[in-house]
Amino acid sequence: MNLLIIFISAVLINNFVFYYFLGLCPYLGVSRKIGPSISMGMAVTFVLSLTAVSSWMINHWILIPYGLDYLQIVSFILVIASLVQLVEMFIRKVSPPLYQAMGIYLPLITTNCVIMGLALLAALKNYNFLETVVFGVSAGIGFTLAIVLMAAIREQLELADVPRPLRGAAIALITAGIISLAFMGFSGIIK
Amino acid sequence: MNLSTRMIVVLTVVGLLSGSFLAIVGQVTKERIIFNKRHEIEMAALKVVPGARLVKMIYEERDFAVFEDRDEAGNLLGYALQAAGTGFQDKIVLEIGVNAELTTVLGLTIIEQKETPGLGAKITSEEDFLRYWQNRDCTKELTLRKPPVEDPDALASNEVNAITGATISSRAVLNIVNEAIRKARQLRAEGKLSGMN
Amino acid sequence: MAQKTTRQQFFKGLWAENPVTRQLLGLCSVLAVSNAVINGVAMGLAVTFVLVFSALLVSLIRTIVPNQVRIASFIVIIASFVTIADRVLAAYFPQLSKAMGPYVPLIVVNCIILGRAEAFASKNKVWPSIIDALGMSGGYVLTLLLMGFIRELLGNRTVLGTQILGQWFEPWVVMLLPPGAFIMLGLIIAISNFIDFKIKERRKQP
Repeated sequence: MNLLIIFISAVLINNFVFYYFLGLCPYLGVSRKIGPSISMGMAVTFVLSLTAVSSWMINHWILIPYGLDYLQIVSFILVIASLVQLVEMFIRKVSPPLYQAMGIYLPLITTNCVIMGLALLAALKNYNFLETVVFGVSAGIGFTLAIVLMAAIREQLELADVPRPLRGAAIALITAGIISLAFMGFSGIIK
Repeated sequence: MNLSTRMIVVLTVVGLLSGSFLAIVGQVTKERIIFNKRHEIEMAALKVVPGARLVKMIYEERDFAVFEDRDEAGNLLGYALQAAGTGFQDKIVLEIGVNAELTTVLGLTIIEQKETPGLGAKITSEEDFLRYWQNRDCTKELTLRKPPVEDPDALASNEVNAITGATISSRAVLNIVNEAIRKARQLRAEGKLSGMN
Repeated sequence: MAQKTTRQQFFKGLWAENPVTRQLLGLCSVLAVSNAVINGVAMGLAVTFVLVFSALLVSLIRTIVPNQVRIASFIVIIASFVTIADRVLAAYFPQLSKAMGPYVPLIVVNCIILGRAEAFASKNKVWPSIIDALGMSGGYVLTLLLMGFIRELLGNRTVLGTQILGQWFEPWVVMLLPPGAFIMLGLIIAISNFIDFKIKERRKQP
């Protein structure tokens, strides 16, 4: 039951993009077309799951037992960076078509707030192992949902006559704001 | 030195230097950070049981903890229950003061909440919500009075006024309180509370 | 391209190359902590601290670090300063630290910091790097404070906790919530673009 709450919360109520403001850089850059957005979302979900596992292990097997919690930030970011490197090399070797589909987005993901944000939030909320993994996957699904929605709207916006000052980031952010407002309707569905 | 060696040396030096520096900073700030965390909890535990001067944690599990509240003389005045649950938006953490017999709620304070500002967030305000929790009879389940009444004396002894426009947040708090008292009673039955003395 | 004067180095970060409104970096943090001015002040100080000191260190070691381990070293340096900022905040300003949540540690992935280290500090001497960092921080802080001011005033009637608008004003609570942040930032970027177009138009006229 608790896991279901975490899932719904991360995808709809406390969506990583529309509530936690994470993942905006790639969001603004990539979400112009639906296709690449789905690929980006898949890549992020994949990295998030791996990060969830590794950040939990580092936190609970090394940092907390040895009283090293001040090393949390440094260790998390280094692990994330290495993880993404390894994943990219691995996918490139093992499955070139998969690499074509999502591998090119991986370098973009390293300094993506979403990944680090997940590691930090899971640690902050003190989730156990299973909860952290569910949290990670749900966050990825929520992120994918967010950018695909945005891409769909932006594809339509391309055809519209947007005033010059608003073109690009400004209208993207305002659109994000309106979607965020809509997502607020999901609050309170867990009672 | 060739490139590979240089790479390794640079990385090692950077790593060691930052590691040592962080270790120093970590140590210097450690005491205060631990103190801050404990202080906030203790302040809340003291606040919800009137007259309490000393608190001591006697039970802890995830999202639930029990503190003993005593006066200067060491008499047990009651318990402070720290409990957490799901609110409208995110997690709500609160501290409930109950008497030693677990029959009366003495007070309530919110430690953490992320409810909607201006609406659900009103649960933290004394005027709007918290004062209704003083001296509530919890021998039966506590219930919410909705729509809220003007005169607090019109409430039944186990009723609390809901906040207009923030029913879900109010109900969330109510559920957390009822659940916490239930857990405390169970601990009492298992002999895990120090009991009346 | 002609060498910029120190003044130009500094001021470019405030307007022409403003990290938030022009380069679209560091948006996550601007949106997250601009719901109250005091949070913005704390975040602004933290980012300035990290940006300036990491620029200084990166510039100092730029000739010794081999290319391949460049990014890794920068990340360790930046992460260390972020940790210091986060620990000091948690130790001496616990309320603020709690209000900001994970966003201070998230400075480590704030694109501004690594971006400046890559683009400037690793290729320039120490003093220009510091000036550049100060200018970028300035631009970031200005945008953050502007957002914070508007959001807190319209959403809560207060600025820095003191009530400014009277009870006659019904607060626009949405300003304190995520949608308000997104829309406000979008509008600020739009207005900044608009002003920029006007300035460029005026320059073109003989």
